[in-house]
Order: sequence, then structure tokens, then C-alpha cells
Amino acid sequence: MAEKKNLNEKIAELDKRVEWFYSDEFELGEAVARYEEATELAKEIERDLGELKNEIEVLTEDFSK
Amino acid sequence: MASLTPTEFLNVVNQTLEYNYSGVDIVGEVASFKVNQGKWVFFDLKDEKSSMGCFMPVWDLHVPLEDGMKVMVQGTAKVTVWGKFSFTVKKVAPVGEGSLKKAYEKLKKKLAGEGLFDEAKKRPIPKGLAKIGVISSTQAAGYADFVKILNARWGGMKVLTAHTQVQGLDAPEQIIRALNYFNERGEVEAIAILRGGGSADDLACFNDEALVRAVAASRIPVICGIGHEVDESLCDLACDVRASTPSNAAEMLTWDKAAVRQEVRRTVRKLGRDLLEKISSLHKDKIRQCLQKIQTACEQCERMVWEKKRLLEALNPEKVLARGYAIITGKMSPGNVVKITTFDAEVDAEVKKVKERKK
Repeated sequence: MAEKKNLNEKIAELDKRVEWFYSDEFELGEAVARYEEATELAKEIERDLGELKNEIEVLTEDFSK
Repeated sequence: MASLTPTEFLNVVNQTLEYNYSGVDIVGEVASFKVNQGKWVFFDLKDEKSSMGCFMPVWDLHVPLEDGMKVMVQGTAKVTVWGKFSFTVKKVAPVGEGSLKKAYEKLKKKLAGEGLFDEAKKRPIPKGLAKIGVISSTQAAGYADFVKILNARWGGMKVLTAHTQVQGLDAPEQIIRALNYFNERGEVEAIAILRGGGSADDLACFNDEALVRAVAASRIPVICGIGHEVDESLCDLACDVRASTPSNAAEMLTWDKAAVRQEVRRTVRKLGRDLLEKISSLHKDKIRQCLQKIQTACEQCERMVWEKKRLLEALNPEKVLARGYAIITGKMSPGNVVKITTFDAEVDAEVKKVKERKK
């Protein structure tokens, strides 16, 4: 099973997908499907952004000794 | 009352001194400062009325001292077996604006000379790291500001906080321990040392030589957010990235969620527009190619019609007659009347003789 990508990886993936449209590999036949995939990924990123939370842990180590 | 020997009495005195006075901060002016054999530091700590002799190993001295500087010391007082008062300094730090500035400038010059602040050694700290270490006092306002900005701007980060003192004589040692802790484990990608604003005395611990060296030597990149914009500590100069405040450190470590969301939307919108433009441009190209083909076919057709027309014109009997030829119609046998048509006349003529023509 493919590993779940984190937000940074998804943003990098979106950049990569967008690059394809401006590259020599662009093909009209694939463009619409690829555009739909990119917009789907963008929605996923937006959803992830809304759910993001930092995890803050205060260490129990005593640094005074 | 039982009597004591001098040794017993001095033991009691020393126990009393240690028990009651080992944590006391003593502030005075340095006099007769000297280092013996490169190992032992001796100086007197004095005020207007009194003076006490102080001693410490040179490796415990983390700030440059000189006569006339005002310092705070912590240490152990005892009476020697010869009955002399002795004070072994454990920690010493300059206090007061003049002494702090003097110690700061002196140490800055020394460490700069060793290349501790070289720009070439500084490593960038990327935004949005997965795991960072924070060294700060969890009760400090600066730490609360950092967490608040961090959470408002970004998420998905694991933050491990090492709670230490961030001012006073004990702070440098504690911060060094925390730095070592993170470096030994190597599980965080960057370390943030944070402390909000304060007086020059409050921030003086960030000019401690051992701490500055530990910051510069950290294997993990260090970002410092200490004091306010105007404050400059030696840790700020030695770290990889300097933030003006703890809040600024949070900003430098994160993207802004809202800005990222906007950027994602902008990118996809632009992509949609560009794609439509591309499709339309490709269609235009195809239409242009079709038109070209039609035009070529039309031209070929026109040329063909013109050639046929020319041929037909050449075959027109009138044109043949105009060139002087005549058309004979009727049966070609002697005695028969045939019709001879020329360009401008029609003649009825009788056939007299017919013979085969040799070609």
C-alpha cells in the first residue's frame, strides 16, 4: 500500500503536476484528466491545511542537574 | 558545654557556611584579577568597606573579567585548616551595563577572531520542518508567543520543548545541557533557543562563552529568538539563523497557512486559465491547417480547370478554321456533293476523285 503523503510532500507533488502542463511532455489528450487530478490534490491540500495541528511536548528531563 | 578541637570547630563552621550560604549571589567589584599557571583564577571581590578573596579554576570562567568590573558570583565559602577565609567561585557573570558591555565586547572580539561568527558556517533552516527542538522556559512570555504564532501559522510539526532557565547564573549550563540532549539524540531537524525581552542583566546569560561555543558547535542548526529586535547577544551571532524575537522565530520556521491556501488556489486557477488558452491555441492551429489544405486543394482545382479550358479552347473548331483549315462534311465518293466549311464561308462542292493518301 502506498505510504500516506504529508502536507509538504503533497505541495511538492502539486508543483510537479503543475510543471507538467508547462513542459514539453504536455499532451492535450492527457491534459483534462491531469488537470482534474491536480485540482483534486489542491482540494486535499486545503483540507489538510484546515486540519493541521502541531504536537507540542515538554520534555520531562531535568536540565538543572 | 563540650569543648571542640580547632579541626572540629572548623568542620562545624564550614558545614554551617556550606549549608546556609552556598546558593547566595554576591555582587561586587573585581580587583587584583590574575590567572596563575594558566589554570587558577584569583581575584578580590570588594565594595566600599570590605574585600573577599576569590578563587576558581580557569575552566569555570566563561566570561572575560578584568579589574573594575562589577560581577555576581556564586560559590562555596570555607575556612581553611590554617584559619583563613576562602571563597571558591562556581559561577561568575558581569552585572551592570558598563561591565556587561565591556565583557561582551571583549568576548565578541575573541570569538570572532576564532571564526565562531563566520557567515560561511551558517546553515539555512527550511520552513515547515517535521520535528524541532525548543529550549526555553515554558513559563516565559516569549515561549507562549512562539507557540501561539507557530500554531496560528502552521501545523503538523512535532515540537519537543526542553524547559530551562533563561536568565541568571544557572541558565547557560542548563541551556548547554539541553543543546547536548538534542544533539546526542539527533531526532530534531532544528533547535530554537527562545527568550523574550528583558534587561541587559536578564539577557547576559546568552553571552556566556561556554554557551556561545555550544551554539556554534551544534550539529543541529540553531535558530535564536532572544530579546527584542535591538538586543544582540553572542548566541545570536553564533547561531545559524537569527530571529529578532521568539515570535519572529516562529514565523521563520513556518509557512503561513492562509498564504499557502491562497497560493494553492491561485496556482490551480492560473493552471485552468492557461490550459483553456492552450486548448484554444491548439484548436486554432488545427483550423489554420485545415484552411491551408482547403486553399491548396482549391488552387489545384482552379489550375486543373484552367488547363482543361485551355485544351478545350485549343480544340474549338472555330479556332481550327481561324488557322486556315476547313471542315468537309458529306460522303467522300466521286459524284457526291460535300459541304466545305471555312472560317468565313460554306461551300457545296462535288467530289471528283478519291484516292488513299500516303502518310
